[in-house]
Amino acid sequence: MVAIDSLQPRNRRLRDVGEKSGSIALAGSAVVGLLFLLVLVWQIAAPTVVSGANGEIAGATEFIPENEFLVEWKAANWDGDSSYLTSQILIEISWDDSNGSHVETLNVRVIEEQYISADVHITESGLSENTVEVSKKEDLAIISSMNVPVKIEQISGPVPAADLTGLPEVGDFVIPAEVIVLWGEGPVFEAQELLAWISLLFLTVMLTRPIVSVLPYLERAAKQARYVKIIAAVFALGTMSFGTLSAFLGGLCWWACGVTVCRIGAGVTRLREAGREIHQTDRLLHSISNREDLLLSNRMLIVFAFLFIPLEISIPFLTERFQDGIYPYASGLRAAFYGTIWTMTIAMIVAIPISVGAAIYLEEYAEPNRITKLIQALVTNLAGVPSIVFGMFGLAVFVQQGGLGWGLGPSILAAGLTMGVMAMPIVVLASQEALRSVPSSLRESAFGVGCTRWQVVRDHIMPSAMPGIMTGSILAMSRIMGEAAPLIVVGAAAGIWFDPDPLAALDSGNPFTDFTVIPVAIYQWTGLEGEAWKSMAAAASVALIGLLVAMNSVAIILRQHFRKRLKA
Amino acid sequence: MTENSDDEENDLKSAPGQVVVSSTDDKGVEEKDLQSTRELEIEGEAHLMVTDMDLWYGDKQALYDVTLPIARNSVTALIGPSGCGKSTLLRVMNRMNDLIPICHYQGKIDFEGTEVTDDDADMVEIRKRIGMVFQRPNPFPKSIYDNVAYGVRLHYKPSRAELDQVVEKSIKRSALWDEVSDRLHELGTSLSGGQQQRLCIARSIAIEPDIILMDEPCSALDPIATAAIEELILELKKDFTVVIVTHSMSQAARISDYTGFMYLGRLVEFGKTDQIFSNPKEKLTERYITGRFG
Repeated sequence: MVAIDSLQPRNRRLRDVGEKSGSIALAGSAVVGLLFLLVLVWQIAAPTVVSGANGEIAGATEFIPENEFLVEWKAANWDGDSSYLTSQILIEISWDDSNGSHVETLNVRVIEEQYISADVHITESGLSENTVEVSKKEDLAIISSMNVPVKIEQISGPVPAADLTGLPEVGDFVIPAEVIVLWGEGPVFEAQELLAWISLLFLTVMLTRPIVSVLPYLERAAKQARYVKIIAAVFALGTMSFGTLSAFLGGLCWWACGVTVCRIGAGVTRLREAGREIHQTDRLLHSISNREDLLLSNRMLIVFAFLFIPLEISIPFLTERFQDGIYPYASGLRAAFYGTIWTMTIAMIVAIPISVGAAIYLEEYAEPNRITKLIQALVTNLAGVPSIVFGMFGLAVFVQQGGLGWGLGPSILAAGLTMGVMAMPIVVLASQEALRSVPSSLRESAFGVGCTRWQVVRDHIMPSAMPGIMTGSILAMSRIMGEAAPLIVVGAAAGIWFDPDPLAALDSGNPFTDFTVIPVAIYQWTGLEGEAWKSMAAAASVALIGLLVAMNSVAIILRQHFRKRLKA
Repeated sequence: MTENSDDEENDLKSAPGQVVVSSTDDKGVEEKDLQSTRELEIEGEAHLMVTDMDLWYGDKQALYDVTLPIARNSVTALIGPSGCGKSTLLRVMNRMNDLIPICHYQGKIDFEGTEVTDDDADMVEIRKRIGMVFQRPNPFPKSIYDNVAYGVRLHYKPSRAELDQVVEKSIKRSALWDEVSDRLHELGTSLSGGQQQRLCIARSIAIEPDIILMDEPCSALDPIATAAIEELILELKKDFTVVIVTHSMSQAARISDYTGFMYLGRLVEFGKTDQIFSNPKEKLTERYITGRFG
């Protein structure tokens, strides 16, 4: 028998440092949260109460009539580098005005790269550009702001309706036609991914309700645990090599299958060694080591992969087609879908650590004095503040430059931060409620064995409060996911034709900072004329609800897991 | 009969065992006449010595000038009616009362040359060396193994094998091994009440404290579990010093070497258990142990 004094003691200074940094971090997060709240209050008060705005409204400038001439080419004639693929496109623009007659030549380079449209302006001093690059199938707008007629004539190169070979050229007769493909071709399911998913589903069912006839096989397999794991790894890497998201998830499923087989098998072996029969499956559940965690990860994987493997969520509507203002059924949610995902991710990263930290500080560390009570009242009231006010807050703090503003512009980062701030009070309240429901006997028993306060929080209170905190956080996230109003204030745009980049706002040279989210897309589509747009709005609503259901099911799985771990 | 029965539900910020002070006691004893006793004979040197302890919850005083020596390797029982300050006195010994913001105190506690009440005192060290078992069994919501191993991991860096040995030894010493040896990885909270309480004892003895404070450890248990715990306490006495708060007079008589009778925040009488129960000096003590009040 080992004597306790012979064990190597833990470093006490290290513990004290941990304790200090833990409490400082928590206090820090509370301060950051408080700072946001104070700025919000200031932001509401300052323009109206503190300093009334003054100045004068400038009159509208004189109306300048513009004439627009739109052309678009179906195929590229410029490789984007230095040479023409087919012949050069030259457009001759001529007009007569009081200064005499003018003839200008415009060289148009049609490029492969998508979604770049171009404008050329004609003024009295000539063309705004003499060489212009425009994407194929995109508009080249020639805009005249003069009050004399302008003649536009293509003198060389493939005409707007020309095909990939560059034919026909100027002078030939062309009938323009366009075919819109609604659904891509190719296999909907990838067999190996689906197989991985189904195997994992089967094994997870085995974890909850073991099927006695299968157990001996699993036991035999687990005896060769190393080979099982190697096979799982090979399958996983093989599947992942396809490189798509669903392939990645499929690979994870394979690996989870391997781990599950080994665990169940080892559990069966342990059961036998304990002298019990294999059909005593209720005992088996106890002999699988770390079964709850395994169940959790498997279930999360199954739910998450369900969207991407059997449902094949990469349907063009969500992940391929951009929002279109002209053809309803060729339109999609791509930018809005990724915009929503990024906004939520940033909001979560910002809101959850700060709010949970602040909640822990308020509940476990702060003395119950007047300041704490004031902060509590502030937080409680903020949870009920209308979302549009948070939009104003985001506009003032994150979007605008100068003053308190961070100058992020109407970008996905500003939107995510705004949403994060909006979620904060809700998450703080939910976390506080969860922390309060941890029985004080647990705190006492932890202090009784000599825990520091930080160790009590980390090892005992957090795990017990986790289900409540998770549920609260995810519900807060679901709530802000459906918000359109604050994001319209922050500057969500209409048709976005590129994938949003979450960090675009930090790179001042990046022009693609605009963003949109699904609720804003719904709002815009409902405003357009025509029945087809109504269907598109409905489809987008279904997509939004689908995302919500997915998030809430993750919340339910997490909550069940933590609850069971505490109360089994 | 239990003064603390509602405390589990209460927030820590409210005071457990708060004394209800009435100026005139309905038992015919004037409160101002009550004084803590100074007749504190024990054999050998005191392992832990509480001196002149006054304690308040907010502005209500809960302990009045209590001095109490705890003899080494013995069982000291604290008895008295509900709200008399027994639990408070017990909790002040390893400063569990510090968790209650409104609680403040004056007095000294000497423990092997350490000043427990010192502001600079290392609370972790104190609570490691003065362990505590609570009224309601409160195992961590972790496996049985982890419940016992947690404290050890907290203070030491044991290897896997060493930890296994410490856990086994502690569970064996708390007479629980035969019942749980084949299910160490089940949740501690899945055990029965009596087993949970023994698990809590195993948890506190795993880190080898010098003193174990027990706050009515049997009040939530049935007679059989109580008997098991009592037997265990007598066994533990060989290695540890035990202080136990109890409402059961017979339990105090059965297991303790010394008994202190408390009333309205004062330690009315203290002495060897035989003497207290057979020949109490104070009338109040006699009336209490003969069941005429309390």
